[in-house]
Amino acid sequence: MKSIFDSKSLRLIAAGLVVVNGFFPAVWILLTSLKTEAELVSKPITYWPHAPTLGNYIQAFTDQPLLKYLGNSLAVALSATVFSLLVSALAAYAIARLNLKRRQLILTCIVASSMFPLVTLLVPIFETMRAFGLLNSYTALVLPYIVLNLPVCTLVLVSFFQSIPKDLENAAMIDGCTRMGALVRVVVPLAAPGVFTAGILAFVNSWDEFLLALSLNSNPNFRTLPVGITLYQGEFTFPWPIISAALIVAIVPIAVLIAIFQERVVGGLTQGGLKG
Amino acid sequence: MATATAIDRLRDPSEKTLGVMLLAPAFLLLALIVVYPIGKLIWNSFFDLRLSGGSGIKFVGLENYALVFKDPDFWNAAKNTVLITLITVPGALVVGMGLAMLANLPFKRKWPVRLALLLPWALPLAFAGLIFAWFFHTEYGVVNDIVRRAVSPAEPAMWLLRPNWAFAAICLTIIWKTSSFMALILLAGLQMIPKSLYEAAEVDGASKWQQFWQITIPMLMPSIIVALIFRTITALQTFDIPYTMTKGGPGNSTETLAMLIHKTTIDYLDVGYGSTLAVCMFVLSLCVTAFYLKRIGKNA
Repeated sequence: MKSIFDSKSLRLIAAGLVVVNGFFPAVWILLTSLKTEAELVSKPITYWPHAPTLGNYIQAFTDQPLLKYLGNSLAVALSATVFSLLVSALAAYAIARLNLKRRQLILTCIVASSMFPLVTLLVPIFETMRAFGLLNSYTALVLPYIVLNLPVCTLVLVSFFQSIPKDLENAAMIDGCTRMGALVRVVVPLAAPGVFTAGILAFVNSWDEFLLALSLNSNPNFRTLPVGITLYQGEFTFPWPIISAALIVAIVPIAVLIAIFQERVVGGLTQGGLKG
Repeated sequence: MATATAIDRLRDPSEKTLGVMLLAPAFLLLALIVVYPIGKLIWNSFFDLRLSGGSGIKFVGLENYALVFKDPDFWNAAKNTVLITLITVPGALVVGMGLAMLANLPFKRKWPVRLALLLPWALPLAFAGLIFAWFFHTEYGVVNDIVRRAVSPAEPAMWLLRPNWAFAAICLTIIWKTSSFMALILLAGLQMIPKSLYEAAEVDGASKWQQFWQITIPMLMPSIIVALIFRTITALQTFDIPYTMTKGGPGNSTETLAMLIHKTTIDYLDVGYGSTLAVCMFVLSLCVTAFYLKRIGKNA
């Protein structure tokens, strides 16, 4: 098949387009974070920082409790991930393996829950959390995030469980394992890659969530990163170099995570997407 | 023997018992976070329910709904939400298609392209909003700088300070943010199309353009539909990007339904009216989902 992209240089241009589209915003923010306020408001604007400084990073940590926000985001996202995996692994196993009537209907119910616009449920969730005195707590976010992650985690895990030959389990049961024993000793270790993929997706989802975090946890002690970063701006002032520095601090953990596990993430996304 | 079976049954429950046990946590959570709130939402919408004043709860029947239909803020937010959906969903599909075609070329090293598609997806929407607000800054933004250098040094566009320009900036940001996810889904679809189809078309003398419309698009249809459904549902809920870029301004020219509901409930603590707005939005997204499902039913 002959194509204009058979030439190597044109292929490089194609790759360049995709890479610039994906990386430019992050790179621009990185450059901004290294500029001084004086350089930022000089015209014409500079692209490369003339006198790179790390002062903005120090200010990012002192102007707002950035470290606290990081910790909160990490705590919320990690616990949401662990519980999402637990709940969806149990459900996915039942759907994939047990001889249940209406298993397709059960799966549809779980997936359909992702069709409900979260923002419309914001009001009653806010009320419920308020009634239980859970506003400004990790629990207030973790509970809804589990539900948020449930559809995609269940879809990924169902297809992983289905790919494990049932004979392995049967063999373990013939050798004297109970069904639970077979689940723990045979299925869980074999499904580990799937659990891991679903885990990354759940983590990114929870790390990114904004609306609930903004509405349910307004106390700085429980504020998450995406919400905290919007607070550097005053009514009329936008300290862009400091905001940029804070953004870089917030982006790096998630960027490292997806860079290391990119193949799994792509696999999980398309699997969760295409089967939905 | 009898006791042995009882213990066995505990250790090795029947399929049905085990099924109920395994599915219980998921459905309990769904009941708490989705089903109960939907009921509560509809219930609330019939009451005058303000958490700020001491006026207490008063049953008002359909009065809230009558108010919604007369509320210019509701119609403005509904119009903005529908416009954002109609612009950014096809926009992200076209850009995502382009990115997917480029990313599908046979590169020696695949990771830079893959990471370039993953990064925008993993970036929180709120961050994308902040970053692009800086891009579109009238004086020091890189967008106006590029326009000035490349096109004309005329008066810079006041992106986020003029209603229509702010709306355009928000749509562009949403398209950038969401086209990568679109591209990832479409790329997976592209990679599943057998090469032999193109080879056969080549032999029959079909042009590249014909191959795209006769092979690529029909073969990709399932992926395109899935991507469109996901994107439409999230577009109707647009909140983070306009919130971080303009806070709905100037005026309320970029306020979406989600922002109006958030403002009414969380800022003004008017739960009754906020719930009514939410029910209306709920019905809107249900109609869209039903429309899609019907179309899929026809296609399948």
